[in-house]
Amino acid sequence: MEAPIGLLETDDATLVARLVPPTPSPYHRLNPTTKAVIATVASLGAFVIGGYVGPLAIIGVVLACAAVAGVLRRLVRVSALFTLPIAISVILVSVFTRAGTTVLFTIGPFDATLEGVDFAAQTLVRLFAISTAISLFGMTTDPRAFVLDLERRGLSPRFAFVAAATVEAVPAMVARAGTIQAAQRSRGLDTEGGLLARARGFLPLIVPVVLSSLTEVEERSLALEVRAFGRPGKRDLLWCPGDRGWERAVRWGLALLLLVAIVGRVAGIVGATV
Amino acid sequence: MLELRGATYRYAGYARPAIHDVDLALADGEIVGIVGANEAGKSTICLVASGLAPASIGGGLTGTLTIDGEPMAGRPVHDLAARVAIGFQDPATQRSGITGTVFEEVALGPMNLGLPATETIARARAALELLRIGDLAGRDPARLSGGQAQLVAIASLLAMRPRHVVLDEPTAQLDPEGTRLVADALRALASAGTVLLVAEQKTDLLDTLCARVVVVADGRLVADGPTGEVLGDERLEGWGVEPPSRVRLARALAARGLDPSVVEGAT
Amino acid sequence: MSGPQAVPAVQAVQAVPAVRVRGLVHVYPEGTRALDGVDLEIAGGAVVAIIGQNGSGKSTLARHLNGLLRPTEGSVEILGEDAAHLRVAALAARVGLVFQDPDRQIFARKVRPEVAFGPSNLGLRGAALDRAVTEALEAVGLGDQGGVNPYDLGYSRRKLLAIASVLAMRTPIVVLDEPTTGQDLRGVARVRAIIESFAREGRTVIAISHDMRFVAETFRRVVVMRAGRVVLDGTPAEVFSEPAWPVLASTYLEPPLAARVGARTGLGATPTEAALVEAVAARDG
Repeated sequence: MEAPIGLLETDDATLVARLVPPTPSPYHRLNPTTKAVIATVASLGAFVIGGYVGPLAIIGVVLACAAVAGVLRRLVRVSALFTLPIAISVILVSVFTRAGTTVLFTIGPFDATLEGVDFAAQTLVRLFAISTAISLFGMTTDPRAFVLDLERRGLSPRFAFVAAATVEAVPAMVARAGTIQAAQRSRGLDTEGGLLARARGFLPLIVPVVLSSLTEVEERSLALEVRAFGRPGKRDLLWCPGDRGWERAVRWGLALLLLVAIVGRVAGIVGATV
Repeated sequence: MLELRGATYRYAGYARPAIHDVDLALADGEIVGIVGANEAGKSTICLVASGLAPASIGGGLTGTLTIDGEPMAGRPVHDLAARVAIGFQDPATQRSGITGTVFEEVALGPMNLGLPATETIARARAALELLRIGDLAGRDPARLSGGQAQLVAIASLLAMRPRHVVLDEPTAQLDPEGTRLVADALRALASAGTVLLVAEQKTDLLDTLCARVVVVADGRLVADGPTGEVLGDERLEGWGVEPPSRVRLARALAARGLDPSVVEGAT
Repeated sequence: MSGPQAVPAVQAVQAVPAVRVRGLVHVYPEGTRALDGVDLEIAGGAVVAIIGQNGSGKSTLARHLNGLLRPTEGSVEILGEDAAHLRVAALAARVGLVFQDPDRQIFARKVRPEVAFGPSNLGLRGAALDRAVTEALEAVGLGDQGGVNPYDLGYSRRKLLAIASVLAMRTPIVVLDEPTTGQDLRGVARVRAIIESFAREGRTVIAISHDMRFVAETFRRVVVMRAGRVVLDGTPAEVFSEPAWPVLASTYLEPPLAARVGARTGLGATPTEAALVEAVAARDG
């Protein structure tokens, strides 16, 4: 390990510029709240409108955005993985249990009806639209940028902390659980054996995970408190994501679009057949 | 000037006080070491001297904590934070977990104080430079060695410009390299005029760092004086504290009627 | 000596080394090469310290000794058996590994069941289990704390509890990861006494430590690791003698004061205070 050099030989502008997460594409450069609105409107829109045309159009738009952001392949893979387990259960349940008149085929006592298949397909399209929309947000937005943006818009920094710390706490807890498992296996706990042996190992694994997580949260909140985290009042942020006038217009436009969809759905003008 | 007077503190849910009637005054520019056996009350004195006990963790305090003549009782933690900072053993749990770079981590404290951004930046920069870790500014705070992480934790406190810093066993979890990094940083801090209270098991470190050491045993201060005198006290081992290597060696030689001066100059 | 799971008796294993590590390489999934070709043979009944800075591979090596980690390349033999053929649960009867942080393992609400967990996993029951627990608690000085909640004990005593919980497993090989971290004078003396009693019983002790004086005064052999390799291996007198200093310095280790005084005054290798006193006595007396 090299010895510390000491001096910070950069000007303030460069220092602050380094805090800004990289934005490799124009889509990444959008204000985080704009991206959050896009994800929300797309998800709710797909859910509200239903049917095929609406959700498929939404998927099309989301995938186009993902292509601009350069995350298309990853997005499709992640969304598919995310949707798959739910998809399987939806297909099994709806294809074979939904009552209908047009029987397509029969397996054992179950009839697969046209209505069942139609319902399953519609649900899948909706699910896929929602998961692509959420994944797109996750893949193109730095969580810290999002919470700073929310703080600038008046949200309490405490919320920002809880949100960001939760994201960070997961890998730490996984690592801790790994060490705990290693320690208990060293004491002869059989985690490679049968179900009974594993059941016996539940408490020795879970108790230290819970206790050490609690201790860590306690220590960490103390360490934050001593850095004046609990002080009320506004903070002068070193940086926060930029916002542009037209993005504001886009957000309101999208919100309006969602409203129209909801009204249309209620009035029965647009949407699903089921 | 930080002063504890007649401080008796009991943790919430405990019948017995952890420290009894502690009088401890830290003058400006002073570096004071606290030694004592485990569970003797070192950490408790640190928590009380920083005001966290009782302001943050509850419990019952009788006696007073005053800083520059002002009583600290009843003040919220964020108000205390700018006057007296406290650092702990484990660098991992002192990290905020909400920052992506060391610079941002160090800037968090001054930013929380509501300072203008230019002032926050200036303070973070000065704190990193004081501890000579400016080269870490762009690094991910979650991916540092233990020693580096502890320096970042200390820098994060210094950026708030407290006149008093309390550190509870800052090298306990570190390897020899990390211990050396922190020791060098503490010396730099001392020369910058910060009042420093350091609890440590490593008396070899305190021996070269402070001019004054206090000993705590069973929750009471049992010795307070110049480092050489206190760490050379015959009763030190009885209080559960390891004398510094040079003291032990000189004593072992003297016990055999040999000249202990051979030890001098090798430290 | 051994539990119901057949473990070779201590006397019988003296012929084969307790640990034989050959060409051991370990690469973590994210690509860190933590061990880069370690060859190490530790005789039955040896008392060995492994030193080196964090990240030098000490803990990774320790985790190979009871199968928690498996070699990327090379082999690990425990008491003459290839560890690759044994499950961790079986290796636990041969190698007791005490982790650095006691809070990563303490789960019981009382001290005694905590200590009983390991030996009961190895099949110990009834009076034999009780005896093992009692002896282990006595050995670490917690004999009168059996009914206490472990979390009412301070950190250093929880650490001694963790040592007791492995001690009670009565394994022929004991590996301790930084047993003195966070210990005061009495705690360190206690750990030293435990290691010495292991040695008397003929058990093999391997300890990782950052405390050079503790190492020099407690162990008969010191292995120095740097960047996943063994760079020094010898008695404390050899490892802390002046010719080895540049290697120690390259891994940020500093010999104990007694060794430095001995070298500066031309008294030769004096790794411990006792050795230095003897050397001065021989010169002046």
